[in-house]
Parts: sequence; C-alpha cells; structure tokens
Amino acid sequence: MVPVKKNMDILYHSGTLLILLGLPFFLSGTVGLIRFPDIYTRLHALTKADNVGLGFVVSGLALQSGSWAVTAKLLLIWLLVLIASSASCHLIARSAMQKNIQPWTR
Amino acid sequence: MINFNRRFFLRIFFFSSVWFILTGVDTTSWMVGVPAVLIASGLSLMLAPPSQYQISLAGVFRFIPFFLRQSLHGGIDVMRRALSFRQLLDPGLVSYTTFLPEGSARILFANTISLLPGTLSAELHGNSVTIHTLDRGLPIWANIQGLEYHIAALMRISPEKMNNS
Repeated sequence: MVPVKKNMDILYHSGTLLILLGLPFFLSGTVGLIRFPDIYTRLHALTKADNVGLGFVVSGLALQSGSWAVTAKLLLIWLLVLIASSASCHLIARSAMQKNIQPWTR
Repeated sequence: MINFNRRFFLRIFFFSSVWFILTGVDTTSWMVGVPAVLIASGLSLMLAPPSQYQISLAGVFRFIPFFLRQSLHGGIDVMRRALSFRQLLDPGLVSYTTFLPEGSARILFANTISLLPGTLSAELHGNSVTIHTLDRGLPIWANIQGLEYHIAALMRISPEKMNNS
C-alpha cells in the first residue's frame, strides 16, 4: 500500500511542476499581445506561447488525474485547441493581408 | 468502391473514438453519439474527399516529436522576445513555394507553419505560401523545408511526385 501511495505522490508533484512550467508561457503570450507592434506579431505571441502553455498544463493535469480516460480526453482537448488556434490564426492573418495591412518593420 | 467503403468505415471508427473519449463509458450518450458520428463521417467525406495518399504510421511517430520540439522552441522564442527589455523583433514577409500536393497535405503544412519558431502562414495561394516571420535572421528556410519533408513522409508522398510538381 505504501509504495503505491508514494508513486502517486511522485506523479502528483511532477504534475504540479508541469503546470507551473506552463504558466510563464501564458504570461508571455499576454505580454506579447500587449507589447508587440502589429497584428501579425501579436498573432505569433498568442498562438505559439499559449499552445505550449496549454500543452504543459494539460500534461500536468494528465499526470495528476491518474486515469487513462481523463488523459486521453485532455490530449484530445489540446489537439482540438491546436487545430482551432492555428486555423483561426491563419484566417486572421489572411484577412489582414487582404485588407492590405502592412506588417510593422524595423 | 471497396476502397471508398473502407475509407467511410475508417472515418466512422475515427469519429466514434473521438465520441468515446469525450463521453466515456456512458452508453445512453450513444443515442446522440451514433447520429453525430454518422453525420460527421458523411460531412467529412464531402468536405475532405479521400485522397490518394495514405498516412504512414512511422511518419506519424517521427512527426510527433518533431512537432513537439518545434512548438516548444516556438513558445520559448516568443517568450524571450515578449519579456526582453530590448526590442528583439525584425519582422518581414517571405514567400515559399511548396511541392506538397493540394488538399490535406498543404493545409496541414500551412497550419503547422504557424506553430514553428517565428513563422506564421499569412496566405496560401495555390502552391505558394506567404509567411510572416518575427525575425528575418531566423533559419526560416531550413525549418520550413524540414516541416515539408516530415509532412511528405507522413502522407507517403513519393520523391517522383515531388519533382513533378
């Protein structure tokens, strides 16, 4: 009984660690959204940083759940968010291009 | 026709698995699930007709670590530029002509470009992709070519096909 509990503890704490690792990505995605100069660079900040952040949070929660069903559900959610965010990112960038919005250059 | 039926059953199997993962072992959920799976399979065949390319399982297993590593790099890259005190951006537009055939291969290509470090697909016209980059100093060409070859391996697109188009 005791080793099993210890094992669960290790999984639980590694999960917490992964979730904490994910948070700075969300933070920098939002900082980028505020600090970056134009629509295109802001899209970079949102899609990339948030996807990685969500990836860490999802893997952390999967480790904590201790269940394959929940793990599969979390991974599916991450995959759907990846597809939705990259597709909407492309659509926003395309509509900005069609409106002739020039990218910011140094 | 046999091939078509096989594709239809593959899609039913795929959407059933998605439904099963979302709802778990609750059998009454299949009252909604069965029609939803059938409609989704039919719609997906209409919107994305079966292509001549088959997905290679070995390609999938090589693509996943590549994809995870690249998106992690992309996230760290954005983090560095967003949080740095100095201005680290040197954005610009680049055009890239892909050998990938029209359809799911090209769409997967355009979508994953946005998750590579510092690149974002802004427009897709035929076989030409307009890419916005955060930093013109990044090895954009190498990254994108790597992605292109991974997708070609994933869809079993043969080298002769690459040279023809």
